[in-house]
Amino acid sequence: MNLQSLILLSADVTVEKQDGFLGVLATAAEDFIKVFNKGGEVLLSLMGGILPTLIVLLTAVNALVRLIGAEKIEGLGRAAARPGIQWYPVRYIVLPFVAVFMLTNPMAYTMGRFLPERFKPAFYDSAVSFVHPILGIFPHANPGELFVYVGIATGIQQLGYGLGDLAVRYLLVGLVVIFIRGIVTELITARMIKKGA
Amino acid sequence: MSAINNLIVKIGRSVGGVVGTLYQAGRDAVDTTIRNVIPFMAFISFIIGLILTTGVGDWIAKGLKGSASTLPGLLLISVVCAIPIISPLLGPGAVIAQIVGTLLGVEIGKGTIPAQYSLPALFAINPQVGCDFIPVGLALGEAEPETVEVGVPAVLFSRLITGPLSVVIAYFASFGLYSK
Repeated sequence: MNLQSLILLSADVTVEKQDGFLGVLATAAEDFIKVFNKGGEVLLSLMGGILPTLIVLLTAVNALVRLIGAEKIEGLGRAAARPGIQWYPVRYIVLPFVAVFMLTNPMAYTMGRFLPERFKPAFYDSAVSFVHPILGIFPHANPGELFVYVGIATGIQQLGYGLGDLAVRYLLVGLVVIFIRGIVTELITARMIKKGA
Repeated sequence: MSAINNLIVKIGRSVGGVVGTLYQAGRDAVDTTIRNVIPFMAFISFIIGLILTTGVGDWIAKGLKGSASTLPGLLLISVVCAIPIISPLLGPGAVIAQIVGTLLGVEIGKGTIPAQYSLPALFAINPQVGCDFIPVGLALGEAEPETVEVGVPAVLFSRLITGPLSVVIAYFASFGLYSK
């Protein structure tokens, strides 16, 4: 028995439990603290597991983005504004990906300023839908909402699988979904503008 | 002599610039971690502790087992999350998606939900992403007020279609995922 578990009332009980009113109270107190001991264990495993990697990765990608310079992607924004079917993948796959990667959530949505008004809602929809699928591989893009992915990934890890497969598929399916989302929202926006005018 | 001097100054400047950038990047990284990541970890740890030590876990497991381990169940979750009145309420900070994701993670870890459902589940719990943030997001893109007026309902209604669709795509993309 160590001192820490003594303080937190969670020492393993080897003698038969106390009876009576006080015994019940004592058991209740132990059960109460058990919740937080377990929570503490989970917190420690999270802080020891993903946090160091996350900090180093955040530092590296932040530095990379600063060295490249976020203003370099403005040309891409202008290209995505062009009409024509061949610019759809640029507008709803490449631009959201690059914007979310370089500018991160929520500054990524500022790239919408290069687009004509009728594309703006669709671009926002596309970009905002990508701030989670990117987390598996590039958590720097949205570290405050990491647990959408990490919550489920933790379960996969407990089963002993590698996370690479899930992370890659999440990213790829995410790209397909934001492309469809961009097109659908653009169509709906066009229809609503027509109705309003 | 002045050429060498210039060279030295130039090298010194650029090295200083790179080191300064790296240092600032590290400062930002630690800042984000302390302000955004660790508080959420603390909160999530408490919830996981509660699930694992009390009966709440079994109760949630029963509720999720039916819905999160079949395609129709996941579709139902995604449709509910995508309803235009509900989706903006579920959006803020992705807190709901993060909690539900963690709950599902616990159940996947215990084996209640098959591992291959992790991919469609990631999309099923998240059709509301950013629905609370549409006016702000559009304003960041310097949209006119008229665009915001049509943009908000356009995105919300689009989610009703693309939310369930994303689950179907993810479901088919999950074949062969962790099947062994």
